[in-house]
Amino acid sequence: MTGFRVGVDIGGTFTDIVLINAEGRLVTKKISSSVSNYATAIVEGLAELFDSAGIAPDEIQEVMHGTTVASNAILELKGAKVGLIGTDGFRDILEIRNLRMPRLYDLEWVKPPPLVERYLRVTVPERIDAKGQVERALTREAAEAAVSKLVDQGVEAIAVCLLNAYANPVHERLLAEAIEANAPGLPYCISFDILPEIKEYERTSTTVVNAYILPIVSKYLESLEENFAAKDITAPVLLMQSNGGLTPAAEAARKPVNIVESGPAGGVVGAHAVAQQTGHSDVVSFDMGGTTAKASLIENGAYTRSQEYSVGGGIMIGSRLLTGAGYLLKVPAIDLAEVGAGGGSIVWIDAGGALRIGPESAGAEPGPVCYDQGGDRPTVTDANVILGYLNPEHLCGGEVPLKADKARDAMERIIARPMGLDVAHAAYGARQIAISNMIRAIRAVSSERGRDPRQAIMLPFGGNGALFAAGMAEALGMTRIVVPPQAGLFSAFGLLYADVEHHYSRTVRTLLREADAGQLAAVFDELETQARAQLAADGFDLAETTCERSANLHYKGQIYELSVPLPDGPLDSAALRTLEVAFGDEHERTYGHRAGSDEPVELVNAQVVGKGVPPGRRAHGTYSDAGRDVAVGAPRQAYYGPEVGWLETPVRTRSALVDPVEGPCIVEEYDSTCLVPPGATASLDSYGNILITLGG
Amino acid sequence: MSDIKDPIAFELFKNAIFSIADEMAVTICRTTYSGILRDNMDFSTSLSDGDGQVVAQGLTVAMHLGAIQTALASVIRTFEGDIHDGDVFAMNDPFDGGMHLPDIFIFKPIFVDGKRVAFASTTAHQADVGGRVPGSNAADSTEIYQEGLRIPPLKLMERGEPNRTLWSMIEKNVRIPVQVFGDMRAQLAACEIGARQLTELIGQHGTEASALYMREVTNYTERLTRAAIADLPDGEASFEDWIDDDGVDVGQPIRLFVTVKKRGDEISFDWDGTSPQVRGAINATLSVTRAACFTALKTVLPDDAPNNDGVFRPITVTAPEGTVANVVHPGSCAARALTGFRMLDCAFGALARLIPERSMAASDGGNVGISIGGYTKDRDPFIYVDFSCGTWGGRPFADGLEGNSNLFVNMASQSVEVTESEHPIQIPRYELAPDRAGAGKHRGGVPFYRDYRILADDAILQCRADRQVVRPYGLFGGNAGKPGENFVDPDGNCQKVDSKITSEVKRGDVFRYVLPGGGGWGDPLERDPQAVLRDVRNELVSAALAAEEYGVVVDTVAWQVDEAATEARRAEIRQQRQGDPGDVSWDDDGASSPFPTAAEVETER
Repeated sequence: MTGFRVGVDIGGTFTDIVLINAEGRLVTKKISSSVSNYATAIVEGLAELFDSAGIAPDEIQEVMHGTTVASNAILELKGAKVGLIGTDGFRDILEIRNLRMPRLYDLEWVKPPPLVERYLRVTVPERIDAKGQVERALTREAAEAAVSKLVDQGVEAIAVCLLNAYANPVHERLLAEAIEANAPGLPYCISFDILPEIKEYERTSTTVVNAYILPIVSKYLESLEENFAAKDITAPVLLMQSNGGLTPAAEAARKPVNIVESGPAGGVVGAHAVAQQTGHSDVVSFDMGGTTAKASLIENGAYTRSQEYSVGGGIMIGSRLLTGAGYLLKVPAIDLAEVGAGGGSIVWIDAGGALRIGPESAGAEPGPVCYDQGGDRPTVTDANVILGYLNPEHLCGGEVPLKADKARDAMERIIARPMGLDVAHAAYGARQIAISNMIRAIRAVSSERGRDPRQAIMLPFGGNGALFAAGMAEALGMTRIVVPPQAGLFSAFGLLYADVEHHYSRTVRTLLREADAGQLAAVFDELETQARAQLAADGFDLAETTCERSANLHYKGQIYELSVPLPDGPLDSAALRTLEVAFGDEHERTYGHRAGSDEPVELVNAQVVGKGVPPGRRAHGTYSDAGRDVAVGAPRQAYYGPEVGWLETPVRTRSALVDPVEGPCIVEEYDSTCLVPPGATASLDSYGNILITLGG
Repeated sequence: MSDIKDPIAFELFKNAIFSIADEMAVTICRTTYSGILRDNMDFSTSLSDGDGQVVAQGLTVAMHLGAIQTALASVIRTFEGDIHDGDVFAMNDPFDGGMHLPDIFIFKPIFVDGKRVAFASTTAHQADVGGRVPGSNAADSTEIYQEGLRIPPLKLMERGEPNRTLWSMIEKNVRIPVQVFGDMRAQLAACEIGARQLTELIGQHGTEASALYMREVTNYTERLTRAAIADLPDGEASFEDWIDDDGVDVGQPIRLFVTVKKRGDEISFDWDGTSPQVRGAINATLSVTRAACFTALKTVLPDDAPNNDGVFRPITVTAPEGTVANVVHPGSCAARALTGFRMLDCAFGALARLIPERSMAASDGGNVGISIGGYTKDRDPFIYVDFSCGTWGGRPFADGLEGNSNLFVNMASQSVEVTESEHPIQIPRYELAPDRAGAGKHRGGVPFYRDYRILADDAILQCRADRQVVRPYGLFGGNAGKPGENFVDPDGNCQKVDSKITSEVKRGDVFRYVLPGGGGWGDPLERDPQAVLRDVRNELVSAALAAEEYGVVVDTVAWQVDEAATEARRAEIRQQRQGDPGDVSWDDDGASSPFPTAAEVETER
């Protein structure tokens, strides 16, 4: 089979299309993301690629897709008109939220408007107690009355979330029947199907978001498949989920809440694949673009995942303690920490005389001073131009001309002179401070979770990743960097490496030492049956599926849980004891302390991850087009801090690194620049990755 | 920055030290056993220099700003000369630098090359420290000895070895030692992580430069704060507000009075004129009073300055000893947060007169504290403690928030489902209560109410609420918010009870509290009729009240504003009005002061 696999990643500015076949033939294309209809644009882009590269539509095996359709619907508040049915006495769970706001001392704080306005939130007379017993039965009449009330208001979808329904879905199911009987065809979701877990706000918010984006996402996916069909592309379409796994389009249309962070996940999946290729199991991925930097940790070859996150919450600098911004989703997602620092971040001096970077960004308009498009405040990119790291005349192989003089003037006038520094030192300082801001993202996913980043390699991508990687690694005490090719297309690449994956969980709440192992095993079996059924529906043979079981545990009384894999073998009382010890180990590793062995451990949620892994469907390791070499200029002077000063620095292409080089050295490529600092060495591996080893 | 040779290195140090303080906070938050710490986030972390000056405080609770240095100073005073590597100190005594007994402070000195260079500090609200009422938080205790175990500055660890005497004393004097020890372990782990990382940071920069940088971080904060204060107009303003009562001398209001003077780059808050300390446990230590003033000022200033000792230098806070703003021994103070919240409202009121464009009408007056404790059938003790607040006053540019924590604490709520699964308690209702927000061009926040049903055979329920008599004030023509209320058996006899109660309850009993509504800002007749329409449709304001208070007539069938009727109604209301409403209103009709004179109160006593 010589067919092509396709990765399509919609980003903020560009949509990237990557095709690769089993021989490693690679074809790529960038199209603008600012279109009214993504589906048409993607299919037209593909059709153009087919023409220019001589590929026939039936050569396409499958299409892997990362999309911002779901997150944009939330960010722009353009989702469906949703009605919400809750329990009497709890009409405002969605609006009261968790009470907390994301900032202290903020007089101007405005809460994000609830996705369902109060007049579209209705309640029904019913009550289920904490053990799942029906205390007040819901009648069919009351269920139907609630549904018709919402239908009369013209809702486009209904979300149902009743109190304690995680313990017993009987009333939610009755409401589902009432919806199907009274409003046939109206999209709806009940919380037990979306997130059968304890905590009413988290479950309500997640269920509502699902209903809110469901009509838009399913319409988009339908239109995408129609457009494909019209061009004779019949290959299955798989969507990237926030958790790093793929899911078939039909399942994504049913649970769109799983694909909200589709885009950023692709890059981490790519980092994971490159790490496996190069034989590394611990990796810090570092994705830096024009306005933000994101970090994620891969440990023992596995992603680290967070159990909840907020979308549209803006960027939390450093600590992620203060929650309350944006819209909460409790679905597993690759744990990405983000800080508002990028090439466009503005360099400024505050009223206390301190040098600060961002969070304000010059963005694409007016852009950094050196772009000469009207920007007059120095940015991080200007600092890199002044330091000689970036080509002083142009970027993108000459497509973007630069004015280094303007950058230097602005830095001199606004920063260096007031601080009494020479301009190079000021630029160097700005870069170092940007690095110290971005380090907080890496710390959030590593040392704040008890993980030492020094054991890991750094894998940078995005337009600015490779330019800052060495500086970041040095500050964190990391010594090895792997810079993959095609940094600018990396998220689209990542899609090609992912597996189909489905996550299931259920709240159990039992002390491990009192748990009935048989009953627990039955819960895990049920979740596993669900997972295997979904994978079978996705087209996998039983032999191609795997299921991983894990437990969310805490010491009784604690509120935050840690996820621990179940030991191999049957789930019996010996296995439960092993699990209890494993939890203590994990607690100590993560937080540096553990309780005495007499303190009971409580199981909160059972979790199963089902994966579909067909033999040999990973993307090819080497590409026939490993990055577009650009014409590079003469060596130039670059500044490496007050102790080293200015050094003449050679400029190379990536392919020239087949002969290893000693730093300093700059590698210029079409869409990124890689800095190899003095004392470091760089070489090229057989996959086209640049390997940098820092000295010391 | 005269002494700093490398301003860039200084910036890097500054970024790093704040990130360490935050990381300490993450450690406590993720490993705590109690809802108060994880969800209400009633704890703080910080790093101080070797002299005890706070350099970096983790981002958690505004109420603790300034508290750690007071407590640490007391430890240093007590042990100077006897502080060694491996020591860890604990204390909670409000008369020796603490705040109230549930807040246990833990300090770890950090040594580099045998020299004390810093302290890692934490304070955390423990779910119980003994005393006569579960939760150790009762508003009606009348002396400190009823409130629980009082820990003067003591060594919890001595050169790395646990001080068994102290640990045993704590174990035998608290109701739920497993939980308290779990949370103290979390505090110790946070100190450990802070110490380890700060030692590394100091290693990178050198001891001498690090000491200089730590000092300079506070100087930098001072400069930022002074620059921001200098931008405010000079002036002087006073504000008076009253606490309903202390829960012991029920019905006797307690006066708060503050005078704010701003001149150049300095500002002072003087609480002279505030009531003498009371018998109930709402007396505040001076550290709480200071935190209220800092919070009011920091909220009004652009939020830029980091949290450390530098903030305090341009700000003077004074309160006469023996007042509710500066309690002396043996006054009780477990419920001092109530007074802290109310002092924040009072300080906001004074600042509003100086800077109307950065003002906020009164909030709900802080959180309602609920403790329910007792024993299950198996004689296992249970203690449920929750603090909830939720409404802000209207602002010059926006409505007051609803379902949002108070600026003084930024606490999150605890999950109803988790509460019901862990305690013999049911929460039958928890939602917004209409027609209680203060009307205004920007209305106050809509309060919520919550019911508790007891499922244990018997238990003790304790409630601490306020602003059930003296309502949240409105500003610049806005109405006051409706008062809060407490009820027993809300769906049956619906008996109204006092704002602060401690009572025995039995299976099936239901208790309800309703938060006060936020005060309104600006003339309700200037409110956009479309905003009123939205509130009516969302059943936050009834159509009748819309016509009465806002003069907006809503067609509730077509869901439209009846514009002609609205214009007529608004004209009618304007005509009925008499006189100038003044800048502060305490009821629905305007400015008439609800307050007794200080002399009247004295006579009643």
